[in-house]
Amino acid sequence: MNPESKDEPVVYQSVVLKNAAPYQYMKVCLVLEDKSTKVSAVDLKQFIITGLKSLHGEVGAASHFDVLKYDEDTLTAFLRVSTIGLVKLWSSLTLLGFYNKQSCAFRVLQVSPFLLSLTGNSRELELD
Amino acid sequence: MVRVKSRYLLCEINVTDRNSLLLLNDKAIAAAVKEVVARIHGDYGAAMCSLRFSVKYLNTQTGMVFLRFPKMSYKLLWSALPFITSIDTRWKKIPCFLNCLHVGGTIRTCQKFLIRYNTQQLHRMLPNCQNEEEKEKIRKAILSCSIIQGAFEDERDDNEDEP
Amino acid sequence: MTYAGLPVVIVSRCSGPKVVEVKMSSKTLLNCETSSLRHPNNRLSAHLEQLPFNYRATVLLPDCGCAPSQLDETLRSFQSFYLVRNLPLYELLDEHLGRGSVCGLSYKTRIDEDNCAFLKANGHLCLSLDKDSYELLGIEGKACKPKSSRYVVSVDLNDRSMAPGRPRYQRLFSGLTSRLPLKMEFLLAPASGDPDALQPLLSRYEWSRHTPEVSCRLLTHLSRPDPLTCDLRSYDPFDLLEWLGAVQADISCDNAADSFLSSLACPHPSAQSSQSSFLLEVRGLLLPQNIMTLVKQLSHFLERPLSPPWAAVTVHGFMDNLHVHERHFYTLVLFPDHAYSLHLATPAS
Repeated sequence: MNPESKDEPVVYQSVVLKNAAPYQYMKVCLVLEDKSTKVSAVDLKQFIITGLKSLHGEVGAASHFDVLKYDEDTLTAFLRVSTIGLVKLWSSLTLLGFYNKQSCAFRVLQVSPFLLSLTGNSRELELD
Repeated sequence: MVRVKSRYLLCEINVTDRNSLLLLNDKAIAAAVKEVVARIHGDYGAAMCSLRFSVKYLNTQTGMVFLRFPKMSYKLLWSALPFITSIDTRWKKIPCFLNCLHVGGTIRTCQKFLIRYNTQQLHRMLPNCQNEEEKEKIRKAILSCSIIQGAFEDERDDNEDEP
Repeated sequence: MTYAGLPVVIVSRCSGPKVVEVKMSSKTLLNCETSSLRHPNNRLSAHLEQLPFNYRATVLLPDCGCAPSQLDETLRSFQSFYLVRNLPLYELLDEHLGRGSVCGLSYKTRIDEDNCAFLKANGHLCLSLDKDSYELLGIEGKACKPKSSRYVVSVDLNDRSMAPGRPRYQRLFSGLTSRLPLKMEFLLAPASGDPDALQPLLSRYEWSRHTPEVSCRLLTHLSRPDPLTCDLRSYDPFDLLEWLGAVQADISCDNAADSFLSSLACPHPSAQSSQSSFLLEVRGLLLPQNIMTLVKQLSHFLERPLSPPWAAVTVHGFMDNLHVHERHFYTLVLFPDHAYSLHLATPAS
């Protein structure tokens, strides 16, 4: 820290930000009928975009979201989407039923306005 | 009882060749709107558009059209209208675009607005007249606007004859 | 041309349409508090107490010149906790137990569908029950939310009316033995640090002892906010929390601006750290006093030479906490001059 701050008197400040979260983070898992199917991160994003396009049209397909992290083995992804676009993305994930002619489903595991809350899920605590 | 609320959009269909307006009908416009909404807003938009959407009035002479949308979703549907670039009729495809002039809660307010709008247009035409005869025609038309009911259709017909 | 060859003036009466978005009303609160550990009235411990049961704590030490062995030891010194199987809840009413010496919560129970129980360090026993169980138990409680089918029953075991033999005690005891004989797997920890407090209970049930699991991750070439050009406290708190989340989840922030997959970036201004960074993690049943010890040790650590310019402690509470939508994590950023900034987030939709 800069040395001046040490001489300053200690300040107490509390700021409350209400409904200001710019993004929402989703942890989703793609469940496929055929477990051996390989889906790459690019495939996954493309697949979600097709879902957005069919449900919300060109406007929906143009809405921006990020695939932050993706695990090819478990087909689990972390998505980031602006708070306004959350409902559109979530609804189209719900209605995605077919991946390359095989039935599939997206399981939304966790949604939060903070990426940090997705990193610690106490339900994963195994003590056995 | 609570009234089912709608929004009426008064739109002007802009075409290059005015005669092609005569080919239009309600069904063609409704189909064009539905198609563009489905393209822009997908299944969700198409579903919204299948609910209480109708073409309430079409004047093929002036290209004025009233669209009725449910109040709940009219903004979403409205946002798709600028993407209409052509309307398919039975005979040919008419390149055009829709220009929304007014949004009203009832047909009556839309009609009032349309009359006022047309009067305004007549006032604008007046300085551009080539000869006395034309000027006289327009003056007459403006005067006739003071009688509100059904006046505007005739006066617009008059103007069509001018070069 | 329209209007018979006359110039057309397009009168735009209506401003362009505003696209309505389908959206969800969500209430997110982020409380950012800056103060100092030396401030006599700092509310840090009060805030830490609000999360009585913690599941995970992480310490991020960016640009750390020395191995944080001292902190590692602190994490390993946290008290161990016990998993008791098939514990009937009436046992918690025992006089030797549950009077503030032991605390814990039910394990593998989901707050949204199962009956859950919490024994707080202040001697409060809280039960979160579905409607049927609540009516069977016959003890007054409160609905979680108006019109919710879940109820919370909270009993202060230290209260005189809850002494054994008193009518209220009898009522609860008979409720938990005959009408609603709840049995749960329970995580218990001695709140006062005295492991003997649990002995009478452990002798009667199957149990296992666990120590919090400690791990350390070495991060090299970490893109991080640059403390040299910009004070860390002037970064947008949401950006900072996002970056911390990305570091913890092992998500790369070095994305090209035109990347198809992700445009996540480190908060600006950023720099790549030349020194190694450490991410310490501990999992288990952690109590607020453990976190307080950690914070104290950390502030000592930051005073030493070669120590990082700041450190971030993130604490995750158990998700199945008493109130579903209460906050379940907080982040504390600590500076060498004992100043801190605490980010308390309440995500509720």
